[in-house]
Parts: sequence; C-alpha cells; structure tokens
Amino acid sequence: MVETMRKVLEAVLERLYKYVTIYLPSLLAALILFLAAFVTAVLARWLLYRIFKGPTIDRFLRRSGVAFMLDPSGHLRATRLVAEGVYWCLLLAGFLMGLSVFDTDVTTQVIQKLVFLMPKIVVAGLILLAGIALGQYLGRGMLVWAVNEDFPFPRRLATVVRIVIMFVAVVVAADQLEFARDVFLAAFIILVGGGVLTVSLAVGLGAGGGFRRYLEEKRQKSEEPSERSLWNHL
Amino acid sequence: MSERLPDDARLAAESIGQAGLVIGIPSYNNGRTIGHVVRAANAGLAKYFPQFTGVVINSDGGSTDNTREAVLSARVEDGHLMLLSTPMGVAHRLSFPYHGIPGKGSAFRLIFQMASALGAKACAVIDSDLRSITPEWIEHLLRPILLAGFDFVAPYYHRHKYDGTITNSIVYPLTRSLYGLRVRQPIGGEFGVSARLIARYLERDDWETDVGRYGIDIWMTTIAVAEGFRVCQSFLGAKLHDAKDPGSDLSAMLHQVVGSVFMLMREYESVWRPLAGSKEAALFGFRFDVGLDPVDVNVERMVAAFHRGCQELGEVWAVALQPETYAQVRKLGENPSEDAKAFHLEDELWTRVILDFACAYKKHPVVSGQLMQSLTPLYLARVASFVQETRTLSSAEVENKIERLCLKFEELKPYLVRQWAGVPDTKLDGQPALEGSERDKEMKLEV
Repeated sequence: MVETMRKVLEAVLERLYKYVTIYLPSLLAALILFLAAFVTAVLARWLLYRIFKGPTIDRFLRRSGVAFMLDPSGHLRATRLVAEGVYWCLLLAGFLMGLSVFDTDVTTQVIQKLVFLMPKIVVAGLILLAGIALGQYLGRGMLVWAVNEDFPFPRRLATVVRIVIMFVAVVVAADQLEFARDVFLAAFIILVGGGVLTVSLAVGLGAGGGFRRYLEEKRQKSEEPSERSLWNHL
Repeated sequence: MSERLPDDARLAAESIGQAGLVIGIPSYNNGRTIGHVVRAANAGLAKYFPQFTGVVINSDGGSTDNTREAVLSARVEDGHLMLLSTPMGVAHRLSFPYHGIPGKGSAFRLIFQMASALGAKACAVIDSDLRSITPEWIEHLLRPILLAGFDFVAPYYHRHKYDGTITNSIVYPLTRSLYGLRVRQPIGGEFGVSARLIARYLERDDWETDVGRYGIDIWMTTIAVAEGFRVCQSFLGAKLHDAKDPGSDLSAMLHQVVGSVFMLMREYESVWRPLAGSKEAALFGFRFDVGLDPVDVNVERMVAAFHRGCQELGEVWAVALQPETYAQVRKLGENPSEDAKAFHLEDELWTRVILDFACAYKKHPVVSGQLMQSLTPLYLARVASFVQETRTLSSAEVENKIERLCLKFEELKPYLVRQWAGVPDTKLDGQPALEGSERDKEMKLEV
C-alpha cells in the first residue's frame, strides 16, 4: 500500500512538473509582455500630456457637443482624451499579446473574438454618441419650440424626445454588436406601438375635450387685437 | 440673366423688350388689398415718370384668393381724375408665380431678374398689403435714383410707437452701430433699387437661405450699406397695412430677420469692426405729421412669456449669454408674480443680450437656429418694458428714447468687437470678468 501511494504521488508530481514546465514559462513571458506594455502605456500617456495640446480637437469637441456629453463639468480636454485613449489601447494590446503566448485553442479564440469585436465596439460607441448628440439637439429644439408655443410641460416633452432618440440608438448599437438583437427590437416595437396606442386612446376617450379647449384658447389668443397688432410689421 | 427666368416670365420680357422702370409687388393671399397697391403704382408711374416705359410686376407665392386676378384686373384711374396734363400711358402689368423657397425673398428675386432682363434703370418694390400707399410713394422711391444717382432708397415713415418693434429694438440700433449709417427703417418693406445694385443682388448665391424668407429686407439694406452703394431715405408718410396672419410663426419671423443680421455680420466683419459712431443717411421728401391707427399691446402676456422663458430656457440662455448678462437676466426674472406694470428691462442689459446672441450665433453654428428661437421670450420682455416706459410719451419723445438705445449700441460696440474675437469680457466697471469655472460654462455647449 505504501508503494502504491508512493507511485500515485510520483505520478501527480510528475504531471504537476510537466504542467509547470509547459505553462510557467508562457505565464512568465505573458507577465513580462504585459508589464512591458504597462510601462510603455504609462510613458506614452506621460509624454502626450506633456507635448500634445490639440486646440483644434478641443474646438471640435466643444462645438459638436461631445465634450459636454463626456464630461458635463466642462473640464474635458483633447489632451486627456488622446492620452487616456492611447494608454488603454496599449494596455489592451499588451494583454492580447500576453494571451497569445499560451497558444491554446481557448486563448486563440478569445483573441480572435476580441480582435473582430473591436471595430464593432467602436462603431457601436459612435452610434451611441451620435444618439446622445442627436437626442440633446432635438430635445433642446423641442424645449425651445414648446416654450415659444406656450405648450404645457415643455421640459417633459424635451425629455421624452431625448429618451426616444437614445433608445433608438441603443437598439441600433445592440444590433451592430449582435447582442440581444431580438430583445431590444421587440422592446422598441412594443414601446412605440404602445405609446401610439396610448395616445390614441387618451385623445379619443379622455383628452379630446382638453385638446379642443387648448386649440380654442390658441385660436382666441391669436384673434386678440393686441396679438395681431404687435406683429403687424417688423 | 433671362435664361434663368421661368418660361412665362422670359416670354413676357422678350415681348416687352425694354422698360425704364419696374415696380415689383410680392404677394401671397393679398387679394383684398393688392388692387389698391397696383392702382397706386400705375398712377405713380403715369403721373411722375410718363417718359419711361413702366412695368408693374406681381410675383406671387401661389395665392388661393385670386390675388393674381386682382392684379391683372385692377382698374386704372382716368388721367383727368388724376389731374394729369399729359396723356396717361398705362404701364405693362404682369403677374407670375415665383419659384424657390416660399417667402418674400424668392418673390423679390423674380422681380429683380425681370428688371434686369428688361434693362430697367430702377426698380421699386412695395408690399401688397399697404393701405396708405399713394402715387407719390413711387416718385419718392425712384426719383433719388434717377436724378440724384443713389443706388438704394429706404423708406422713412411715421409709424405708431408700438409698430415696428423689431426694427426699433434690434435691427435699427444694431445695423446703425455696425455699419455707421442711420437708416431708420432698414426692413421697411418698400425700397428703391438701381440697376447697378440689382445686378449685385443677382450675383449673390444666398437666396436659398433665410434671405429667401423674412430676411430679404435686411439683406438688401445691409449689402447696399456695407458694399459702399449710395444709400438714402425717402419720406413716405404713414405706413398703414393689413394685419399679418395671426397663425404665422412669430418666432420664425424674429429668427429669420435677426438671424439674417447676424449671418451678414459674419460676412461683413471686416467692414463693421473698425467703424465707430454713425452718420445720417440723406432724407428726401417733405416731412409732415399724420394720424396713425392705434395699437393695443398685451403687456401682461409678454411678461408672463419672459418669466416662462426664465424658468424653462435657462440652460439655452446660459450658452448664448455671457455669465454676467445671464446673471442680470435671471435677476430680472426672479419675481414672476411682480406686477407687469413695474417690469423694466434696461437699455444696457438689452443691448448686451443682443450682442451676446450675435456672438453666440457665430460661435455655435450647429445650434444657432435654436439659440435664435430662444430669443423670443427676451424680445417680448423688451417690448413689454418699452411699452410700459412709453405709454404716456409722444411720438417725438419715443423717438428720443429709441435714439438713446441706439447710442447705447454704439457705446457698447467695443464690447461686441471683443466678444466677437473671443477676448474675455470685462465687467461694467472695467474690472476683469468672471474667470475659471464660469468661463468653462462655454463648454456646456453646442448640440
């Protein structure tokens, strides 16, 4: 029995030794690569903060509204954006290189998936950014219009517009990433369809009177001599 | 130029051949009033310019009330009723639908194209809803061009103190301080234009912008003044016209007119920046007093609209206005329940609001339209304050008040030049403006 235990232990230790000799060098190599990438990323970030100013990019970020979207406090600068972007890209590259050292099916698949997914992630990010920008633009337009037209609850109307636009952007981004496509699409259809049905029922059953009153008030206001006279001529 | 005319207009121009004077009348559903305007135009040409071949051209925007029929069938007075000593020649009368974006500017474009095709020496454009037009208006709009060599004749009217508030509050003070010429009615609606200036207008390619809509008047005046054409004014008497369609988009009107002024500021920056002060534009005609239609104004509603704007549009105004201006506007809107009769918007604050909006229009092109539309509540506040301050004043006293506003615009022109160039603002007492996080508010922009 002692002999059997000795043989079992020897086999286990032999297997352990085999795995360690196979995988430890790769692990060490991966760690070295990742460390090198980390050091490079930190150096690159430091250098970019020192030398890159990017006034043109700053102006573009301000004028397009991207700066406010990413940092409502208003302190976002192109330097920070570029430096942090380069830092994380180098880190990610180091991580992928480290993974590739192991050269197994699993690690190869992970790397492939990440590499192929990267452009889609970028595109989905751009779609979301565009959705936020468009939502803000149209929401603000709705706010100004509703205030000028004396509509009730202008802020709520503006918020609804922003939410709808953002939701559409999320659906499109999910479709781009092939992530829960059917779920988001179904949710979108249910939301829009439900909203239209709700408004129709409300107007038909209950809000018709209120709507008529609003239109009548609007008509009366526009017929007031003072309103006409004020805008007689510019 | 004639090849760009619609076929019917081109054929008409070819059949007439040559004309000395053109009177243009843009229209849209003005069947009730346009007949009188056409008769006055014909009578004016016959009485004061019998030596010229005259053409009256109606450029119509698709009227559905038989406006064009009213133009073509308007009866011309017999010569002896007009006390003419020479036989009366009847001017050619044409009516065409115009093409392009719907608006007065597109109508003017067709008129100018026809005037150019006919080789006219001068062209007068008049509104189709005028009730106070007389044949003498035609003389006053065209004679300075024909005899004194002017290129642009702007109208000078007597108007009710509450009529033409956009002119009195924004367009006149601003264009006067920018371009250094006191054209009292820069968007009056009736103008005389020389052939030389017509050619310049037709060279431009911005007819498809707000120029094509309500911005056409200020566009014409600004080009004439800024590009060194000879500009004068002619006294026409009282301006009485039909009420505008109450369903028309009032915010869009303000947006298009003031937006056109701001758009032209960008183009003519090199012209207005070095100028300071202003001088009078020559004024022709015998000035006399006239009675005017009363104008009622609902001040309470305007003040309520301003307070609503303060509550809801703060984030938009914070983008357009400088921090100090915005702080003062907010302070003004602090008491919504305050009696409307006590509401008062200082000239200096109003001037800064307009100048800040002009700079914001330049700095934020993506959202300039929204910024302009958000000006409406502030404009209503200004009108309400103006009405309150001038209730008991005579027309002459009101004119003095407007003059003081104009001088304030001229005084703050250095402020405009600094803001336009992006130089940090200074406070009213000359101390450095708000710094740091307040300046970073401009990051909360744009879209």
